[in-house]
Amino acid sequence: MVRFEDVSFRYGTSANVLSSLTFHLEPGSFHFMLGASGAGKSSLLQLMYLWQKPTEGRISLFGRDVAELSRDEKALMRRRIGVVFQDFRLLDHLSALDNVALPLRVAGRRSAALDEHVAELLTWVGLGDHIEAKPPTLSGGQQQRIAIARAVIARPSLLLADEPTGNVDDRLALRLLYLFEELNKMGTTVVIATHNEHLIQRFSHPVIRLAGGDTIPAPELRREAERQHFGEA
Amino acid sequence: MLLAHRDVPLDKDPSARFLPWLIAFMVYLAALALAGAIAVSNLTERWDRGLSDQMTVQVPPPRGEENAMLQSERVAAALETLRGERGVRTAEVVDDAEMAALLEPWLGEAGIREDLPLPALIAVEVVPGNPPDSERLEGMLQAAAPGVVVEDHQRTLGRFLAVTQSLQLLALLVVGLVAGAAVLSVVFVTRTGLAVHRQVIELLHLIGARDNYIAGQFQRQALKLGLAGGLIGVGLAGGTILVLGQVFATSESVVVPELALSLRQWLLLVLVPPATALVAMATARWTVLRTLARLS
Ligand SMILES: Nc1ncnc2c1ncn2[C@@H]1O[C@H](COP(=O)(O)OP(=O)(O)OP(=O)(O)O)[C@@H](O)[C@H]1O
Ligand SMILES: [Mg+2]
Repeated sequence: MVRFEDVSFRYGTSANVLSSLTFHLEPGSFHFMLGASGAGKSSLLQLMYLWQKPTEGRISLFGRDVAELSRDEKALMRRRIGVVFQDFRLLDHLSALDNVALPLRVAGRRSAALDEHVAELLTWVGLGDHIEAKPPTLSGGQQQRIAIARAVIARPSLLLADEPTGNVDDRLALRLLYLFEELNKMGTTVVIATHNEHLIQRFSHPVIRLAGGDTIPAPELRREAERQHFGEA
Repeated sequence: MLLAHRDVPLDKDPSARFLPWLIAFMVYLAALALAGAIAVSNLTERWDRGLSDQMTVQVPPPRGEENAMLQSERVAAALETLRGERGVRTAEVVDDAEMAALLEPWLGEAGIREDLPLPALIAVEVVPGNPPDSERLEGMLQAAAPGVVVEDHQRTLGRFLAVTQSLQLLALLVVGLVAGAAVLSVVFVTRTGLAVHRQVIELLHLIGARDNYIAGQFQRQALKLGLAGGLIGVGLAGGTILVLGQVFATSESVVVPELALSLRQWLLLVLVPPATALVAMATARWTVLRTLARLS
């Protein structure tokens, strides 16, 4: 599903943010990604959703080397990836409903029936009363839930969530994590980046630890990678 | 489809307000330049129709020693020479009444005074397609009656046609420049839009929009603004042409052009707004696709 081979990444001429990462995420797996602020969690996710290109190494998604994709192929691949951005990236001029429906419209799949589905999903994340609200009129936690709904609406094969529960209380955070688990049970590969160690202790999913800078990948990630290598051999 | 959802909020950009007027202004200029060219060509056509296959021979009254020869003899000699020419079909002296009518605009109704030394005029109709060489003819006439002048309308007209053709070329040049400026302004507005809405476009890309989809957003907006601009511009130009046409029609002078469009020309004018809209749309599409393709 997601394969990194000796991937290093840095912004411009600064020091490496990620160094020599090699790992493989199995289809249908569920990973948490832990790391201090600035450790490179968002950067790693950006590599996975094709927003950044690795400085060195090779990334394959869905069995294809991403360096070889044309712009249109990248677009089609991104339709299979749902992303919850750390800064939400909602469109302020669109209602909650239209924001969530956007991936469907962009893929040419929008219809009245799907709109109903969108409204249901918004209700499920507790925004039933704010379907027509514009994001700037909503709280941070409400905006975050719109962002989550938008990431999952098209039933992506790969879900990447960057700090998806940072703005909600623990009870709601759990509810949202269960949503990701539901999706995972239906086959979606999930990666969730977070600071919140306490929250993820309730789950038994493997954890990717990023130490940041030029340090070698954390043991969990390395072990994961080695296991993958063995598994392949 | 035009009212369909806008993912990129282009209709709130300042350009949504000024671009139609900019385009309207340019369409107006172009339409007037074309109408001017059409008017000039109407004028030449009118003159051409009236003047082709004709020459005028002036026999001025005798002077000094030539007094010996009477004016009537001079006219008779000129007529004889003319009628002996193969390229001449008819040659008739313009009589006094016609002369008076011709001169009325300049001399008023007082008419021609007896002592006014007017030349006699001979209207010559030449054989179409095979007119006599006017310079040779003038030489022969000079021999028969000194001082005779041949006015070849074809030659005058030829010079005039050259002038009107350059005016028409100029009008086309204006249209070309205006169209170029309009295209450039759409390019500029589109690029500005891409920059202003960069974050929205990034997000659309991130959730799987193709460049085509983004281009569609800009292209629809350009179509709308171009159509609005074209309609305003053509409306104003049509009004101006009608009003000027009225003004020109009331002055009966031969040098004032006739500013009347034919049905075909009006139809062409009606086609300008959709054409403007399509050009604006194509320009926006091309600009977006080219700009986005450079991103990766
Ligand atoms: N656009 C950028 N240009 C240059 N440097 C950047 C950019 N984005 C991030 N960085 C740097 O890369 C490093 C990793 O940042 P990143 O955002 O991936 O961390 P993070 O683990 O997501 O942190 P947080 O938990 O605070 O979100 C940081 O040192 C940061 O300063
Ligand atoms: Mg981050």
